Amino acid sequence: MEAIRKTEIKYCSRALTIALAVGIVCFLLALIPMGKGFILGSLFSIANFIIMGETLPLRIGHTRRKSTGISLVSMVGRYAMLAIPLALAVKTARFDLAATICGLFIVQLMILSEHVFHLIHNKFRKPRLF
Amino acid sequence: MGLGAIGAALGEGYTAGLANEGLALRPKKSGDILKNMLVGQAVAESAAIFALVIAVLLLFLGTETPYLLKASAVLAAGLSMGFGAFGSGVGAGFPAGQASLGISRQPAMSGSLSTNMLIGSAVCQTPAILAMVVALLLIFSDFSSMPLFPTWAALLGAGLSTGLAAIGSGVGGGLAAGASCEGIARQPLSLGNVTTTMLVGQAVSQTPAIFGLLISFILLFSGFPESTALSAAMAPLGAGLCMGFGGIGPGIGNGLTAEEAVRWVARNLENTGGLTRTMLVGQAVAQSTAIYAMVVSLVLIFVI
Repeated sequence: MEAIRKTEIKYCSRALTIALAVGIVCFLLALIPMGKGFILGSLFSIANFIIMGETLPLRIGHTRRKSTGISLVSMVGRYAMLAIPLALAVKTARFDLAATICGLFIVQLMILSEHVFHLIHNKFRKPRLF
Repeated sequence: MGLGAIGAALGEGYTAGLANEGLALRPKKSGDILKNMLVGQAVAESAAIFALVIAVLLLFLGTETPYLLKASAVLAAGLSMGFGAFGSGVGAGFPAGQASLGISRQPAMSGSLSTNMLIGSAVCQTPAILAMVVALLLIFSDFSSMPLFPTWAALLGAGLSTGLAAIGSGVGGGLAAGASCEGIARQPLSLGNVTTTMLVGQAVSQTPAIFGLLISFILLFSGFPESTALSAAMAPLGAGLCMGFGGIGPGIGNGLTAEEAVRWVARNLENTGGLTRTMLVGQAVAQSTAIYAMVVSLVLIFVI
């Protein structure tokens, strides 16, 4: 569980930093709905990742069929939560819809960017097996 | 959304199942295995989040002046995204599961396994992105000036063409990516060759979804003359179904070919060139059925 918590903290803190930085830039450029939408989407993306991590032990120690069932139930609950910022963005002009959608993928973006960075970094390093 | 959630849940279940196997093999590495599983599942879920975005847009966006053609467009958008996310969700589960199991076999390669898994999973999301593009075009385009007959069928065909074809490409790409994680865990020295073969194999596996997208664009933008004849409506709908179903088999078939090629590259590094060539020849032959489906679709659109 310790490794999962560390992973959650690593990616969520990075996601939050990026969300706040983008939000501040948007506010400075007077793109307030865009900034608000991005921060809103990012917060829900982070919450989704944390719930995913915290419920991970529930999915371990069962058969593949039971794990699939638990995954489906967990997913329906988390997606109902992820639908809130989208519904808010569609219904009100206070949040930009496109920015909210981008914010929802911030954790995935952090994960992929870290590994892409490592991949590029390793290309320019002396080759080593392990 | 329902179809997307089923796909992602199947992928996540597969990942969790193989993570269990890995934990049983090497309980001391549970931290690394669970971390990899969490990251893999988070990326695998992207396709289902695309489906959620489309579902919420369909639920809440609405139209100022609803018309029958719009009903066909939003139904097609939902089908396109649902089927597309299903394939990508299932496919992205394979690399995540194999990487989790691979870490238990080769703990020193956990970093490379995670990176390879993420690259493979990201490529698996491409068909879902193509399906989302079609869904967004269907939602936001204005069809009010087009005739109801036979445009309703063309719009439905456009959604089905990319959506169904994306199932094969998503699953096929995942099979290749899963085998690459398995191969790296078996033979760490094969990392570079396995990743390259995986990417080539995945690229070919994505082509049926691209054919599906092409047919969708033609159906969306060619503008059919008004006609109440049954054949005028069935031809574009049939074209979409033909390309959609015709793309499922080649997508999965190409993935199976790439899966075996990648698996054997890891076991027999010296023959990477020969294995890659054989894979490409096999995929080209498997691809021909998708091309036939595309030709029949084009005939249905332009000749009938």
